Amino acid sequence: MRLAAVFALAVLLTAGFARAEDLAAGISRDKIEITSSFSGTDVVVFGAIENEEGEALPATEMRDVVVVIRSDKPYTITVRKKERVGPIWINRDMQRFAGVPGFYFLSSTRPLKDIARADLLSQYELGLDRLAFGPAPGAVGGPKEFRQAIVRHKQTATLYSQHEGGVSFLSGSLFRTTVRLPPNVPAGNLKVQVFVFAGGDVTSTNTMTLYIDKSGIERSLSELALDQPFVYGLLAVVLSALAGLAAYVVFRERG
Amino acid sequence: MEIYLPIAEMPVNIFLIAGLGAAVGFLSGMFGVGGGFILTPFLMFIGIPPPVAVATQSTQIVASSVSGVLTHWRKGNVDIKMGAVLLGGGLTGSLLGIQLFNALKAAGQVDLFIALSYVIFLGSIGGLMFYESLQAVRAGGSNVGGTRREPGGHYWVHGWPLKMRFQRSKLYISAIPPALLGVLIGVLSVVMGVGGGFILVPAMIYLLRMPTAVVVGTSLFQIIFVAAFSTLLHAITNHSVDAILALLLIAGGVIGAQFGVRYGERLRSDWMRLCLAGLILLICLRLAADLVFTPADPFNLLVEGVE
Repeated sequence: MRLAAVFALAVLLTAGFARAEDLAAGISRDKIEITSSFSGTDVVVFGAIENEEGEALPATEMRDVVVVIRSDKPYTITVRKKERVGPIWINRDMQRFAGVPGFYFLSSTRPLKDIARADLLSQYELGLDRLAFGPAPGAVGGPKEFRQAIVRHKQTATLYSQHEGGVSFLSGSLFRTTVRLPPNVPAGNLKVQVFVFAGGDVTSTNTMTLYIDKSGIERSLSELALDQPFVYGLLAVVLSALAGLAAYVVFRERG
Repeated sequence: MEIYLPIAEMPVNIFLIAGLGAAVGFLSGMFGVGGGFILTPFLMFIGIPPPVAVATQSTQIVASSVSGVLTHWRKGNVDIKMGAVLLGGGLTGSLLGIQLFNALKAAGQVDLFIALSYVIFLGSIGGLMFYESLQAVRAGGSNVGGTRREPGGHYWVHGWPLKMRFQRSKLYISAIPPALLGVLIGVLSVVMGVGGGFILVPAMIYLLRMPTAVVVGTSLFQIIFVAAFSTLLHAITNHSVDAILALLLIAGGVIGAQFGVRYGERLRSDWMRLCLAGLILLICLRLAADLVFTPADPFNLLVEGVE
């Protein structure tokens, strides 16, 4: 018993010291412009961990790093499940979810289960199976498979991904990971979070923002579509009618 | 070559989309159908979000219908008077259709209703048309579509009041049947989310007995307004019309429509009806397959948008 108490105290103390650690992190680019030739891009998230004296950590100190990039533009999604009724497949059960992130990327030094306990991972929403979105207001919860269907679909669309082992240490204190932003990444701000773990506990965190914005004609068009929907729709109709007229004229002259 | 779509928020291949537009424009010019029932599923298949696919295809249909209708117009194959009567009925029908659509939505299962009505409608229209045109092709020659006698049709239509002369169609009939037909198409186009050309065309040939050549032009004339209205509605309520995607589809579509009209004129009318029947049956089979075959993933997602 006494031994256990001493051990617990030792853990508490190291944890206390560890909290004084300092994390400096950065992103290779903090603003990405979506132009008409945008086809996805890579950004690098990097950082250094220093001890309480402001020195680089020696290689003997093992730290785990988890990098999460997520879009906080939340979506409401209805999931329906098809079932066979007689000869045909029809939608039977459905569930509505709110607060589903449009983009989620996770990279870590090791498998998440080796880094920290499940409840701590859930607290910080670390891992595709620990995202905190839930039933939409007024909707009731149900089987887990509906939730999993969302994650699966988003993974297929390359919007969600998880890379255990994607963060590498260049020395005892310097780490980096490459993030692939797919071409269909939602425009808007992405939240970049870096978590440092030691002994199964979070010792320091850092949060940054990555701005993704449409530029040029892409931007003008989506702004017009949102701000002046009637004008935008009318323009679309008039221009397509004119295009039809132009094709007729060109072809008539050719015979 | 890829280009980024501002509303769909994803890149697409320019040539793939323009080619798709051309193929659908060709069908449109040839048969007088809009082609949304082919375009929408294909756009969704390549990853365009469904609301954007549905809204943007209607913009392309405006362009290819204008392109096709002008060519038909020059040849005297558009019956504006008939088109206007159909359109009047169509607008009334779409107002009724919205009520029906909301009622179905409240009862759940709107998807199933839509899929089943497609299969039943397309299957029966396509099947009857296929049978009739095959007979005509075999008989070799009856070049004037609609002069054949079908059970029903001929006599009761002629007894109705409010007779109007439709010169282009060489018809002197009551305005009530075409107006009612317009109402039906309007209801269907709202509930099923399509322009309704593939139902209107056979109905004009078999029920109203209009000459096939005039049917195609008149149907395109009517479709312009339906598609323009639907583009505006989508732009205002969902902000889901993607101008760049529309532009690519239109570039192919307006040219495809020109070729479609030319090619359609060279086809004998019984052959043309046979081809259209074949097309309708193919679409019906595809939809029936979706209902019957085990889906790759029983779960389907509907993104309702950003909160």
